Amino acid sequence: MNPQFLADGILTGALLGLGGVGLTLAYSILRFANFVHGDFLTVGAYAALVVAGALSQFLGGSGIGPFSFGWPLIIALPVAMAATGALALLLDWLLFRRLRRRGEEIVLVMASFGASLAVRSLIEFAFTPEPKYYSHDLQIAMPLGFSVRATPDQLAVVVLAGVAGIALHILLTRTAMGRAMRAVAENPALARVAGIDPARVVRATWWLGGGLAALAGVFLGLTVQIRPYMGFDLLLPLFAGVILGGVGSVPGALAGGMIVGVAEALAVPFIGAAWRGGVAFLLLLAVLLVRPQGLFGMER
Amino acid sequence: MTTLAVENIVAGYEKGLPIVRGVSFAVAAGEIVTLLGPNGAGKSTLAKAVAGLVPEREGDILLDGARVTVPAHALVRAGIAFVPQTENVFARMTIRENLEIGAAVLPRPRRAGRIAALLETFPALATRPTLPAGRLSGGQRQMLAIARALIPEPRVRLLDEPSAGLSPALVSGVFSDIAAIAAKGVAVVLVEQNVAAALGIAHRALVLVEGRVAHDGPAAPLRDGKLLARLFLGHVEGAEAA
Repeated sequence: MNPQFLADGILTGALLGLGGVGLTLAYSILRFANFVHGDFLTVGAYAALVVAGALSQFLGGSGIGPFSFGWPLIIALPVAMAATGALALLLDWLLFRRLRRRGEEIVLVMASFGASLAVRSLIEFAFTPEPKYYSHDLQIAMPLGFSVRATPDQLAVVVLAGVAGIALHILLTRTAMGRAMRAVAENPALARVAGIDPARVVRATWWLGGGLAALAGVFLGLTVQIRPYMGFDLLLPLFAGVILGGVGSVPGALAGGMIVGVAEALAVPFIGAAWRGGVAFLLLLAVLLVRPQGLFGMER
Repeated sequence: MTTLAVENIVAGYEKGLPIVRGVSFAVAAGEIVTLLGPNGAGKSTLAKAVAGLVPEREGDILLDGARVTVPAHALVRAGIAFVPQTENVFARMTIRENLEIGAAVLPRPRRAGRIAALLETFPALATRPTLPAGRLSGGQRQMLAIARALIPEPRVRLLDEPSAGLSPALVSGVFSDIAAIAAKGVAVVLVEQNVAAALGIAHRALVLVEGRVAHDGPAAPLRDGKLLARLFLGHVEGAEAA
């Protein structure tokens, strides 16, 4: 086995894990499969592109050290996360909040399909289908040993995704809001009688889910390219990772994303890159058949 | 002095299909009132209605004479705590995290002190605070659920079948805890299928039959079971005299 495939899989897995966290939180707290989540990645990537582009007029566009990105993108990242979180909240206010009151999951799922299409079309209209890049500088992959090579940007993405995962763990286990989110995810009725305001938790879920999706979107844009379909194309592996890890489990989403990313990459030498998406589908089917609650999930 | 007054509650899960049909009762500070009745009488629905968990509800809930209008999650701050019959702990979270959830409604400086006080009251929970609640036995789960609901120092406790699924030895322990809670001045409403155990600690009993009050009076006269059997079979007090 070529270790390079493993390294590529770790990079993809880190992005899928980050993106999957928002999906699993929405699934468990808001009680529906949110198909617009993939487009939150895209929105985050484009929002960072716009903000970084504007800032580079004042701060210059050159990268820091070996990285292709500079201060404009670093500053644009939290702005893009906030903007995507705000868009998620707006969509909830306009659409999902009203439909949630009816309590029919399928209506919410179909509405999220519609919202996904609308968001994607708007992005395509505003930015055209042409791929965009945060930087046009060519990055040379560095040898890391064991025949593995990676660009500085790729290394930064893996490290930052790890840091984000740790920060998320601290948020969910050490803060009152994090515990409230886990409580609502596990048992909404009990959470209410324990004094947790569900509306506050729903707002926090959209902020966090949207923000993390934006983070994954920027990382994806940094290491691949920015396209209107970049997030939507990741939906299947995102869902596969979430279900593999156990719906509602944040560590499960991170681990599930990593497993799907690595499995896809390791399958490439055998089935070819064109079919790598099928690996996520097979994993999804296998988990649903063998252990529907996922690796970290609990039986309901 | 009356802590909780429930006035003419009509409640159910669907509009036009009430399960509880015009129930009124009051509970004083330090008093244990048990809600008894055959299956389907509306006992749990009544407790849930008071806790704000039933979608269709009419009538008034008064706490210390003031009408309570807040949503379910705000009732804890208002002083009413409800412990459901099943799934009453967050199984994926640790014992300590369950208690921290309960303490979150308190001002930050008071939280650690209240958790420490409850762990002192229920020492079995203090031995392994990092154990996931899902791995506790039925009795320990019930203890944790009661402890979590006690943290905000509620004036009213609503307990929905705390003995469900427990061994007789554990039942007596849980009921002793409930009596001790009431002795501290908390008004307790106890929904229970284990009639003997409930009447053993209750001051008053409210017997519900088909969503209506069939009896409201001291618990002692019901302990021999004769009157209770007649009530369960549908003999509403006063009906015979009429």
